[in-house]
Formats: sequence, structure tokens, C-alpha cells
Amino acid sequence: MSWVYQERDLEITINNANHVRKFDEPESPKPGQMKAVDFIVEYPDRYLFIEFKDPQHPDSNLTNYEALAAYYQSENIDRELVYKYRDSFLYEWAAGRAERGVYYLVLIAIEQLTSADLDRKKRDLDRKLPAGIPSGWTRPIVQDCAVFNIETWNNYLPDLSIRRMSSSAQGA
Amino acid sequence: MAITRVKLENFTVFESLDLEPSPGINVLVGANGTGKTHLMKVCYAACDVSIAEKSLAGKLVSVFLPSGPPAERLGRLIKLGSETGRARLEVFRGQSKIEAQLSKNKAHPLYPYISATNDWSSSPIDSVYIPAKDMLANAPGFRSLYATREVHFEETYLDILDRAYLPVLRDPAEFVPAALTERLEAELGGKVITHGEEFFLSGEQGEIEFTLLAEGLRKLGLLWLLIRNGTLRPGAVLFWDEPEANLNPKLYGVVIEVLLELQRLGVQVFLATHDYVILREIDLQAKEGDKVAFHSLYRSPETGEIACHTTDKFREIHPNAIMEAFDSIYDREIRRSLAGLV
Repeated sequence: MSWVYQERDLEITINNANHVRKFDEPESPKPGQMKAVDFIVEYPDRYLFIEFKDPQHPDSNLTNYEALAAYYQSENIDRELVYKYRDSFLYEWAAGRAERGVYYLVLIAIEQLTSADLDRKKRDLDRKLPAGIPSGWTRPIVQDCAVFNIETWNNYLPDLSIRRMSSSAQGA
Repeated sequence: MAITRVKLENFTVFESLDLEPSPGINVLVGANGTGKTHLMKVCYAACDVSIAEKSLAGKLVSVFLPSGPPAERLGRLIKLGSETGRARLEVFRGQSKIEAQLSKNKAHPLYPYISATNDWSSSPIDSVYIPAKDMLANAPGFRSLYATREVHFEETYLDILDRAYLPVLRDPAEFVPAALTERLEAELGGKVITHGEEFFLSGEQGEIEFTLLAEGLRKLGLLWLLIRNGTLRPGAVLFWDEPEANLNPKLYGVVIEVLLELQRLGVQVFLATHDYVILREIDLQAKEGDKVAFHSLYRSPETGEIACHTTDKFREIHPNAIMEAFDSIYDREIRRSLAGLV
């Protein structure tokens, strides 16, 4: 079975999963103004929480490299990614789920990001979520996380392929 | 005029190289052993002899320091295994050119053959070569030691001290806007002064000898000196080998800011680097109209020889030994983090 969702200018096609939920639904907000990641993908042995950030969508006002770099390096984006994950995890825990390990996959759709940029953001998120089991805890709130741009996402995650719809339309 | 072309045949690691540098900033990247430093030294030697009236052959020997009896040293610069046993190097500034031909046949009366167009020396070119290792902290006594003893130091170390010891200009803004040196002063926390042959940083806290100063700050101090004493002025050429060596990455930004500004004023710059942050600082700080060229030196898989790919865009540097290292780290990190999924 395949699941296909659109998130503004991005389309994700998910194959070989047990179940997929579009989790961030503005028409049915989470209680307590909890934030939500975009998708939750379920597998027999794990959950994937997926969050998209798309500052290069066609209507974005971040049109130059400097603005995109400032966006990527800002504390705001880290804070948002962290709180979306934590609220989503708490929601799922309270709903009696999240009993399997959860992995957090973040797509930041900036074409110019290099592997060094992505690795740096992953390490920032590791520290801030926090990933793994910090001292004094007996279980993690997130097993691990990873940060991708569209190119690396599709390289590593062919069962969760993403395409930018506007570029496909232009090429049509 | 800036260096406009460099041709090397059978010289050190190069079988054949034909490079047209940018008149602005030239960033040399490549794995160890791909000739970045050699390329800069050839160009520096060619520039230096235009002003110092030295022989190009002698300058090549003194900056490369090949071993062996004096008559055989130049021959050591010929590429190992070359079939002809001869090397040729040519450096151009527009129509002006200096050329050297070297031969391993030391008995041959024609070699080394050096020729230059008349205007090579009649319109000399100021140049400075900053080696990877700092010399300012070890400066006292070095010049007299070098003049009187056989010490095994490349002449670039002597040359950089000669330039650094030049007195500062009366008018700090004679060639370069004062804002540029003030930018460096703000990072340094003072100005560089000398007592005898010893360098000090003079600031609000008093005078700090360079031996007590972090090496990264000594590098900023050297850059400040070279601008303030007029060495780095419009028309000059700066060669800087691994500016990142011993420099805290937080200071890369100001170094690149100053180099880009010097380039806008007409200084030609050559940098050899292994550092990702240096590349990204140039990429992020360069503005429309800046003349930046990235030269990627690599060993061709087809021929096994050193080749060069030039681009003006960071993302098009190929091959990029620096990014390949980061790609490998990212790949291993993803595979570890998402084991079982990727």
C-alpha cells in the first residue's frame, strides 16, 4: 500500500509502512495548543516522526542565499523542531502509543545545504531534543534523529520519496 | 597587472598544467600532494624576482629547497619519471612573461634557461607569501642567522619577515581604507609594534610579546602589518598557504572579509586551503562583482596525472576533497542513526 500526501509544494509517497498518519491537521488542533509534526509513520519495530521545513517553496520570501542561511542557522528553527517533536511524542504517549522506538526525520528543503550543514543541524538537534538516554533517564524520548535536504532524503529513504511539485510542473 | 596565466610542464607533481587565475581571489583546494603549495611558490618566485632582481632559478631553489649538490638541485624540481628529463614553467601577466626551462642534464650549457620579457622587471609586481607556519614569534635574530649560516629554512620565511619589518605608512589610508585595518584592530584588541626585531601587540592591556600571543592572533597581526606598511596595496599579489592553520574558526570570518575587500581594491589573492569553513566564508561573503575562482587540483583517474577544474561557484567545486570528507561523515552518521531503515 502507498500513502501520498501533499504539504504545500512538497509531495511525499510512502511505501512499505504499516500505517501512516497526517499528524499536523490544522482543522483538528491538538489539545492544549500542542504542536505537531507533519507525519507519523508506523513500522513493526519503530515509529518515524517526520517534519518538513520548506523555506524555498515558490511563494517564500527567503529568496537569497543569505536569508536562507540566516533562517537555517537561527535558534528559532531549532526551537520549533524540538517543541514539535516533544509535544507530538507526549501526545502519542498519552494516547497509549509510542511504545516502540521513535526516530525523528527532519527535511529542510534548502537546495544549497551541504552534508556539513546537515550534520551540524543533526548534532544540534541531538543535544536539544535530547536524543538517546541522558544521564539519570532509563529510556529515551527519541531514539535518534536525522536531518536531510530533498536530495539526501531521496538518496537514503527511497520508500519515503519526496518531490517538489512546482519543479515537476515546470518540467512537464 | 595580476598574474593571468601559469603553465607548468613536468614540474614537481605536474605533468601539464595550464591555469588562468582570477585577478581577484583564487582558492586552491585538493588533497595533499596535488601541488597547491608548489603552484603558489612558482607564482611567488616569478613575482618576487620582478622586484628583487634575483634569478628565477635561484629563487626557485631557495623557496622549494630541493636537496643535493648545488648543481643538481634545480633538476630535483623536474617531475620524477618524466620522459624528457626537462621541465618548463611560464608565468604570464598579460603579454608579459617569465619562463624557466630546467634539465636534469647538468652538463648541458643551455640549462637552466631563463627568459623574461623586458617589462617583467620594468613593471615589477609586489608580492607576499605567508607560509603555513608563523614566523613572527621567532623573528628576533632570524634574519641575521639566515644571512650568515646554512639554515634549512625556505626563503619564504625570511621574505615574510622582510615584509613584516617594513615601517608602517605615515598615512594609514594611503592605499587601503582605514576601516579595513580598524576592523583587524578590533579583533586584535590593539596594533602591532616592534621593539628591535621583536613584535608586540600594543593595546589597552599594555604590550604583549608575540611569543605570548595565540598564533591565530599573530596571523591577524601579520595581515594588519602587511596592509599598514603598504605591502598589500592595489596591484600586489598575496599568496597564503593554509590561512586556517592555528586560527580559531571564529576568526575565519574577519580574515575572509578583509581578503575580499583587498580583492575589491585590486589585490590578487591565492589561498591554499583544506578547510570547509574557509570555503563557506568566501562563498557566503562574496558579493556580486567579486572575482572569486575555486581551483580544484586532483589526480585524474584516467591519466594518473594532476589536473585542475576551475569554477566560480562553491557548489560546483569538483572534485572537492574537503566536501568528500564531510559527505563521508554525514553518510556514516545517517547509517548509524537510522540503522535498519537506511
